[in-house]
Amino acid sequence: MSSGHVQKIKQLPWVLWIRQVQGIILFELRRSLTLRRSPFVYLLALAPLALLSLRLFFPTEQEILDGIGGINVMFAIIFRAFYLRLAVFFGCVGVFMRLFRGDVLEKTLHYYFLTSVRREILVVGKYISGVLLNFIIFGGSVAVAFFLLYLPSGWVTVEEFVFKGPGMGHLFSYVGVTFLACIGYGAVFLLMGLFFRNPIVPASVILGWEYINFLLPPYLKKISVIYYLESLCPVPIPSGPVTILAEPAPFWLAVPGLLGLTLVVLVIAGLKIRQMEISYGEE
Amino acid sequence: MAVYKHSYRRYEGDLTARWQRLLVLPRYAYRGVFQSRFFLIFFVICLIVPLGAALLIYLRHNIGALDLMNIPDDAILPINATFFEWVIQIQGSFAFLLTVFVGPGLVSPDLVNNALPLYLSRPFSRTEYVVGKMSVLMILQSCVTWVPLCVLFLLQASLAEGNWISANTRILVAILLGSAVWILLLSLLAMAISAWVRWKAIAGALMFGVFLVGAGFGETVSALFNTKWGSLFNISSMMQVIWEWLFFGGASETGETVNRLAAGQVPVWSACLALVVIGLCCLFLLSRRIRAYEVVR
Repeated sequence: MSSGHVQKIKQLPWVLWIRQVQGIILFELRRSLTLRRSPFVYLLALAPLALLSLRLFFPTEQEILDGIGGINVMFAIIFRAFYLRLAVFFGCVGVFMRLFRGDVLEKTLHYYFLTSVRREILVVGKYISGVLLNFIIFGGSVAVAFFLLYLPSGWVTVEEFVFKGPGMGHLFSYVGVTFLACIGYGAVFLLMGLFFRNPIVPASVILGWEYINFLLPPYLKKISVIYYLESLCPVPIPSGPVTILAEPAPFWLAVPGLLGLTLVVLVIAGLKIRQMEISYGEE
Repeated sequence: MAVYKHSYRRYEGDLTARWQRLLVLPRYAYRGVFQSRFFLIFFVICLIVPLGAALLIYLRHNIGALDLMNIPDDAILPINATFFEWVIQIQGSFAFLLTVFVGPGLVSPDLVNNALPLYLSRPFSRTEYVVGKMSVLMILQSCVTWVPLCVLFLLQASLAEGNWISANTRILVAILLGSAVWILLLSLLAMAISAWVRWKAIAGALMFGVFLVGAGFGETVSALFNTKWGSLFNISSMMQVIWEWLFFGGASETGETVNRLAAGQVPVWSACLALVVIGLCCLFLLSRRIRAYEVVR
């Protein structure tokens, strides 16, 4: 890149754009964080917590026999099977597909378009607000679930494992993977919401693809978000008899890969929204 | 005639019979539904499996055709309760997908556009409205579940030797009852979701969510509490239990008596009870939403 280009990029009104993005994020978060607007997302995040809270009062004998190793595997299974494949996935479907399509249905998108904000800035602001919303809800849920699962083993065990052992690292990994899941799925569903009037068909296809990932051959596994997310999980889980095994993606590929996908999707979404025309009557 | 001369006059034409009024809703709904080429293609795809099954039944009874194609006699599946259970499960999945495409758009547009008073101001009750809208789904689902299965049953009965029908009446009852339970459940769920979620896409996603998240949640319950009762959150698993019971009774496919809890399944009565509870919840949600006017304070 020549110094002329760098000079041009530096001269762009970055401060104004950042302030506009902040404004959009705050406004969207205020709208979306209410229980009334996102009841199903809260339900998805709170359901496992309710179960784990119940378990505090009714611990099973098996987990006492299995010890910390057994609980590690149990949390890994819950995280992969429930949080990653279902809760975060459907949470992202609900939040990100509604970012633009919801405004069209509520006949409020033109208010955004009438403000002196570039449409690309609007995409970025709305996307970050969606990621933050999902991460606050599901990241918080994962962290609380982690402690709730280990608590029945006694506080001493929790202290030994979480604060003096590898537990805190596991917790950070799980919360980090949740964040990456919000970023990856969020980008995909934001794009779906912009391209399709009824995004249920493409969403069903993606759901099916992500769901059967364990059955896919290794080269096809790599064309999915769940493969990279599962590669980053700290505790491996026993694979089923029909699972086709594949080498997990290394950290240096998984994280930049997901971030790269997000960047590409945001660029496409930015280009798409520049040509977007609102016609509420057609909805 | 001048406008001021227009005054109220009672409608003097023929009245539609009361039981036929609710059929007006499916009539108009199908015009919209079948306008979609995608849906039409999907509907045709739904009928491919019964067509294949009919071919299998035909081949099973036509040794000449098998010889012609060099297919050994034992390569074709035996046509028994297991065969019909497989077909009903596959067709049940197609019925679910049909519901996901059609169901969310049934009630929500009427609620979003405040069109419900237009229906209910006519001699048309809330129940008739709900039954009429449900019939849109139920007729479509019937076309891919019990109707083709009954045709397959009759085809097998006509080709089989001896008194096949009387020996296998249980299969026919299972087809009819099993389909009825599945159709009613799907329709109630779709209607309730459509009434409460205003956006079709989210309602469709929620239909998937109820089944998939319910299954995942059930598995989590089972794993956490070391129990099998988590399956009660899994609608597909409950339906599987009911279908198995309808086709085989208390016995397994090989005829042995099965202890369902020991085999990792919930008892039939609990599956039935759970489905009744889900149905009642859907009815409650519908009754709360399907009203001519909604006063928002």
